[in-house]
Amino acid sequence: MGLIRLLVFGFIGLSVVYGLVWVYSRSIRREKLEDKWAEMHPDGGDVNDRDAYIEQGMVEYHSGIRPKLILLVYVVPTLAVVGVLIATNWN
Amino acid sequence: MHRVKTILKAIVFVLIGGLLHYVLPQHDMARITGTEVIRQDFSKWNRLFFAQAESGNVEFLNRDVLFINAVVKKTYLLGFIQREAEGQMVYRNEDTGWIWPPYFKFDTRDLDGEAKNLISNAENPKWVVITHYGWRNRFLTIFPNAIAIKPVEGPDVRVIPWFNIFFFAFMTLAYFFARAMWLQFRERSVDPLLEDVGEAYDRVGDRVSEKKGRVRRWLDTWKSKGR
Repeated sequence: MGLIRLLVFGFIGLSVVYGLVWVYSRSIRREKLEDKWAEMHPDGGDVNDRDAYIEQGMVEYHSGIRPKLILLVYVVPTLAVVGVLIATNWN
Repeated sequence: MHRVKTILKAIVFVLIGGLLHYVLPQHDMARITGTEVIRQDFSKWNRLFFAQAESGNVEFLNRDVLFINAVVKKTYLLGFIQREAEGQMVYRNEDTGWIWPPYFKFDTRDLDGEAKNLISNAENPKWVVITHYGWRNRFLTIFPNAIAIKPVEGPDVRVIPWFNIFFFAFMTLAYFFARAMWLQFRERSVDPLLEDVGEAYDRVGDRVSEKKGRVRRWLDTWKSKGR
């Protein structure tokens, strides 16, 4: 029973963390793309081109490895629990 | 207001500090003198400071609890400075189970066996390091929970609290990460919103002051001119 409770509430808690980190990581990338565009076009450039550039950058971001690394939010605590479990009960 | 804030901060600091002091592992240099099984009839005061029944068993109003009696080296400053003096300490030996505190301890009976194996007397002491969490309070009848027992060569062995070092390093990192996330959220989501609101507010304000100016000027025409 305790194990089920741990799994359910652990999953809920980690999902909240996962969601927050996901939004944060996207936001950072978008800001970087905006800054890069501003650097390339000091006058501001065409608004539509700018949107297309940023959307393209976000698509590239989502196909990269970074968004997948956020899954570590689930993996690391699980490993930590297993590690503590073994360390405590190993004779 | 400032004073209220300071007091609230102090209360939060004490509560979190107390919680961490209760939950984080500490190491005692000890000599085990015996183990016991005593039935505990919990009251509402000390129930909170005992764990639940072993994970395969059912929870009942009272139950037998394993204890470890030991002579420990007294310390100053949360165990950082060792003293020559010795004192009595009693540890309970209970499963923490799956939830809280997250030690995931299920080897209570094995630990009891280990403790029995390491019993020694003052003439021929076998020193051990007992890892535990929790508090001893004689008025509430509460005991720290022993997590692990490790034999050591002598009472002067230095124990490095690796887990606590790692824990506080992680908490510091987590704090700065959460702060960065919050600042990013404010910069990208809250501030633009506030800017919009602020601009709208300014526009309304300008119009109001303009109107007011007109009314005032009109009113001023009725004032008697200084002669």
